Amino acid sequence: MSDLDRQIEQLKKCEPLKESEVKALCLKAIEILVEESNVQRVDAPVTICGDIHGQFYDMKELFKVGGDCPKTNYLFLGDFVDRGFYSVETFLLLLALKVRYPDRITLIRGNHESRQITQVYGFYDECLRKYGSVNVWRYCTDIFDYLSLSALIENKIFSVHGGLSPAITTLDQIRTIDRKQEVPHDGAMCDLLWSDPEDIVDGWGLSPRGAGFLFGGSVVTSFNHTNNIDYICRAHQLVMEGYKWMFNNQIVTVWSAPNYCYRCGNVAAILELDENLNKQFRVFDAAPQESRGAPAKKPAPDYFL
Amino acid sequence: MEVEVDEKELKAAGAEPLPDGRRGLRIHGWEIETRKLSILTSSNLQLWEEKLQTSHLPEMVFGDSCLILKHVDSGTRIHFNAFDALTGWKQEALRPVEVPAAAQWKFRSKPSEQVILDYDYTFTTPYCGSETIEIDTEKHGREEISQGGTYGLHWDNCEEKIDVVSLASKEPILFYDEVVLYEDELADNGVSLLTVKVRVMPSCWFLLLRFWLRVDGVLMRLRDTRMHCVFGVGENPIILRESCWREATFQALSSKGHPSDSAAYSDPSIISQRLPVIMHKTQKLKIPGNL
Repeated sequence: MSDLDRQIEQLKKCEPLKESEVKALCLKAIEILVEESNVQRVDAPVTICGDIHGQFYDMKELFKVGGDCPKTNYLFLGDFVDRGFYSVETFLLLLALKVRYPDRITLIRGNHESRQITQVYGFYDECLRKYGSVNVWRYCTDIFDYLSLSALIENKIFSVHGGLSPAITTLDQIRTIDRKQEVPHDGAMCDLLWSDPEDIVDGWGLSPRGAGFLFGGSVVTSFNHTNNIDYICRAHQLVMEGYKWMFNNQIVTVWSAPNYCYRCGNVAAILELDENLNKQFRVFDAAPQESRGAPAKKPAPDYFL
Repeated sequence: MEVEVDEKELKAAGAEPLPDGRRGLRIHGWEIETRKLSILTSSNLQLWEEKLQTSHLPEMVFGDSCLILKHVDSGTRIHFNAFDALTGWKQEALRPVEVPAAAQWKFRSKPSEQVILDYDYTFTTPYCGSETIEIDTEKHGREEISQGGTYGLHWDNCEEKIDVVSLASKEPILFYDEVVLYEDELADNGVSLLTVKVRVMPSCWFLLLRFWLRVDGVLMRLRDTRMHCVFGVGENPIILRESCWREATFQALSSKGHPSDSAAYSDPSIISQRLPVIMHKTQKLKIPGNL
């Protein structure tokens, strides 16, 4: 058994790698990821997965439902880390699979694959807690800069973490972005990872936060038409039912973190496409409480004032 | 994992657990119960949007979760739920707070047609609980007859303070729970969270309803409502309610030498003292006699 296979087995048991192993794995991963396009070509059949957020045991449920990699070809739409308890093991397992089977798993970047966001929402603290230093966080966040920004399945289905950008009309415009950087606060790259579809606007909307685009049905129609694609598949937003179509089936949100944050009670979904691009959503529940090592459901009594 | 409460302790306090697997207990004429369920389904979320006349609700609305404290004889129900809290949000309708990136965004080239949304995405609410009177009518079963007011449910301003010293004493906790009513991640720009915690001891019940908002790099807002009811004092129970609102900008905090990174502000109970009080009031409610 090669070192890599042994590491994959170890990660599948939710045991993190040694710091030196993480470093070596990341170096190998960079060699593969640097070659990928900003619009990475993906062949069908493929199974598309949305946000995971460090919910390692729920990702294992995902693999039970979707099949193991490399037997199943996977596309993950980002947000591997933060919020859940096992961002380290989750991301490293996906990365190890990427290095071992580069043509059978595609990882694209979500807005949480960022230095700034992971320092607030958990991944940084988890690395510090598990390794006693932030080196592993540094290696991983350096990898984030190499992750592709989107994928194109059989030239027909455009996949991205967040959504569209007013600065992007054609896929070629995405291809020209210099992605090897921290996610910027504005511009096309930022929008692809952050924006959301929105029912109440038809064209473009600006979030009340003063940053963040929302896009309506007519924006999606013209993007799909211009680029000759059937629909857009994205993640980024929690959906109680695991997936949600909008704008007459022109865009679908796929969410793959069941019982999000260990308390929402939502189901998760993955989208399986066969060689003819026929769709099947597979909906799944969270891992049983006892198998996941999450804290007990009932809070400990506390003399709050 | 259920928290083990000593049955002897319950009995000694004159309390008993609620039947049928419900979470909570009966004690001194009160029935105190929590319900914790999943977030609203998409179709229920849509129903709520119609009822509340909004197109935006928090990402996680625990619409069926609640805390209920019912005084059985009078039918008085003090309860906490997301719907009433969001009704308060809709009415208060604060102006949206801009995130730091907004400054840069003003220089971005705009799409030809752009709608600027202006609802309060922080879901700030003045909510401090709901009260109703429910009576048993022989013909119609249970009926909700009033939303306070009419039957004498009235909170009066008062000078008394919640007795924090007695609450700090470590008498046994017979029932404890925390219920999230709604939560939003502000699209990874912070957190907006409304929760209610309750603890019931042999001598009293005490609860804390807390709205906690952190808009990263901009603002923190804490709106606490505490209620305290001591058992067995006089004929009709009295509930004391203290509301305390605190608020500070990150800028103000850092000018006082406090850290200005969001990671330092993940737990509101630790940092609340750093936030200046902007509103404080104490009120009491006398539970009416038997109806």
